[in-house]
Amino acid sequence: MPGVLLVEDDKELREMLKVSLKRRNYLVMEAENGKDAISHFKPLITDLVVTDLIMPEEDGLKVVIKLRELKPSLKIIAMSGGGKVGPGSYLNLAKALGADAIFSKPFSLSELVKKIEQLLDNEQLI
Amino acid sequence: MKTKPEISEGNDYLNWLTREKDIADQIINNSRSMITIINRNYIYEKVNSTFCNAHQVVIDTILGKSMGDVWGQDTFQNIIKQNVDSCFAGKTVQYEASFYTPKSGTRHFEVVFRPLSVEPGKVTHLLAETFDIDDLKTSKQAVIKKEEELRKFESNLPIGFIRCETSGKILHANVAFLRIAECNDETSVKDMNLRNFYLEEALFDLQVRQLGDEHTRNFGRVSLKNRSGKEIPCRISGFLAVDGYGAASYIDFAVEDCSREIMLENRLIQAQKLETIGSLAGGIAHDFNNILATISGYSEMLQDDLPKNSELSEKVTKIQGAVKKAQSITNQILTFSRHVEQEKVLINVSEVLKETFGFVKSSIPANITLRSRIPKMNANVLADPTQLFRVFLNLMTNAIQAMEEEGGTLTVNIEIVGREMVKHALNKDIIADEYVMLTFRDTGEGMEPSVIGRIFEPFFTTREVGQGTGLGLSVIHGIISEMEGEILVSSKKSEGSEFLVYLPVSRSYAPRAEKRSNRKKILFITGNKYESRILSLGLESAGYELIFISDGSSFVKVMSNNNDRPDLIIYMNDSKQINPEDLAALFSSQKIITPCIFITDPELEISDEKFLNSGINIQQLTKPLSLKEIRNAIQDLLR
Repeated sequence: MPGVLLVEDDKELREMLKVSLKRRNYLVMEAENGKDAISHFKPLITDLVVTDLIMPEEDGLKVVIKLRELKPSLKIIAMSGGGKVGPGSYLNLAKALGADAIFSKPFSLSELVKKIEQLLDNEQLI
Repeated sequence: MKTKPEISEGNDYLNWLTREKDIADQIINNSRSMITIINRNYIYEKVNSTFCNAHQVVIDTILGKSMGDVWGQDTFQNIIKQNVDSCFAGKTVQYEASFYTPKSGTRHFEVVFRPLSVEPGKVTHLLAETFDIDDLKTSKQAVIKKEEELRKFESNLPIGFIRCETSGKILHANVAFLRIAECNDETSVKDMNLRNFYLEEALFDLQVRQLGDEHTRNFGRVSLKNRSGKEIPCRISGFLAVDGYGAASYIDFAVEDCSREIMLENRLIQAQKLETIGSLAGGIAHDFNNILATISGYSEMLQDDLPKNSELSEKVTKIQGAVKKAQSITNQILTFSRHVEQEKVLINVSEVLKETFGFVKSSIPANITLRSRIPKMNANVLADPTQLFRVFLNLMTNAIQAMEEEGGTLTVNIEIVGREMVKHALNKDIIADEYVMLTFRDTGEGMEPSVIGRIFEPFFTTREVGQGTGLGLSVIHGIISEMEGEILVSSKKSEGSEFLVYLPVSRSYAPRAEKRSNRKKILFITGNKYESRILSLGLESAGYELIFISDGSSFVKVMSNNNDRPDLIIYMNDSKQINPEDLAALFSSQKIITPCIFITDPELEISDEKFLNSGINIQQLTKPLSLKEIRNAIQDLLR
């Protein structure tokens, strides 16, 4: 059972994603901010992370950098409802820092799920 | 003085005569002016010592000599003789001349020839007096020069200056005031009353009273009106002059037009206000997107659980539609608050403008005339052409709407302007040497000043509730600000509005296009040549090769050519000749598996059921699109 870590400070949104992924038989883990995600990260059972970018405590960019460092093969999806640092958007920055896919909120759930399946499929092929 | 003796008195008479002559000689010799007496033969009969001293000659070298001998025949004949002759004719001759004397160098003199007569009824001699007027002349010239300087200073001064009586009657006004008052010359304001130029005349009387107490006072900003009645905001200070008895004699007013200052102040306040609203709205939009993501996610899950086409499923579809609408609003707010990054490519603004103009022209009402000057030029800027299209389209549509009822003319111009001009217009530090300046001018209903100040605020609208969200101009403001550009507006009620857009010209070079053979080919199926051409401007500069078609037979032709097969298909759901059903049929009949992007209007999403089992990789994008979205989709599909 592939393990997915959801990092999102909005409880309802996190809950919605959890329900949807559990239906598809993923092992779902949750963290409500970047700090939690990094300190409770379980590299052996986590295959993919879906992380928000703008959060209290450590933000999502830190999550992308830190978790990628802890587990290089980890698949990372970043999502954001807008926001910019300097001239570039958070999402593009996340992509540059190593996120495998990015989603603007609100997104199509089916597309997100499709992307998760696709990323984990590739993983299994390797 | 001794009384004159009779001639018969002999020696007494002679003594008296000698004494009189001595006195006369001494008077002549002690005079400060040079004096000579000349007879009708132009011979010097008398010369005083002032003359001899000035010319540093001994008296004998002059006495008994002719004027021609003394001054030279040429000077005498050409300059002196005519004056001397007219004096002998009985006239007093007076003129100014500058000449050289060994004693004082070249100086200015006044020369006077007076006729003298020692025989009754006949001019026998002339008296020539020469006064040194050099010092007088110099100081007179200095005064004139000073006066001239002061006058120039006063007329060059950009501050209006008026002198008036305490009643307000204008005695004098300088050029700057005439300009403020819109008067042609000083005579047109002289004798007018300054009070009449006050928007509130009673204020003038109050100021005069205040000056009576304090004599000098700064009144701050006061509204004047010019001759045509237009209000001019001015900064005024006054000075009351009193005569020797302490009574008021006149008042001097300094009047400075501060319209530009106020305009710039207002602009700054507006910009700060927009910035504040922007960051506030951006934060709210961000939170809203989280909520929308939850709603849309649960709706999708519900949709999966419900039987297709059931009543409940239709209700969920409506929820999803509402989410899309809300998303479009949050996106617009994020664009306004500059939270959306634009994908920028080097693009010629005039080409985007030309396409937008063509697009608008195709659907313009008959009562509106379009006028444009869009010459070929290198107006290169870094921009997302789809966003520029959005800006231009919105400005033109607004202009057309403003003229809908009465008709009118929409003028669109583009030109390149230099740094200094832009600096003056924007009054801030600017980043480029040149700017593209676009003008959108209509002759529509115009706006009240209170409206002009708020048009870029999100959700501000003068239209009725339900007629648009009031986000159009806010979005435009966000897009232009993101490009480091600026948008200015001026308008007059019932005369029309003018929008000026300034965009910094980019000096960067377009990246060298890839070799033709390496470029990915994109087939564009569209019925709207203008909009798709704008997309293509962005995609071509990103290195793709584009093929445009609008009907089924061209589609078959392109797809059957094995060498020229596209790597990707973009279908815009505006093609009248190929609807989505036709496309699905074409795909299955041609056994096509090329990845595909559908671009649709929000209300016209294509149900992808028909394509679901075809195995084709499809992404659906809704308008308005950004270059970034479409490039991301292309990269995703071609990966």
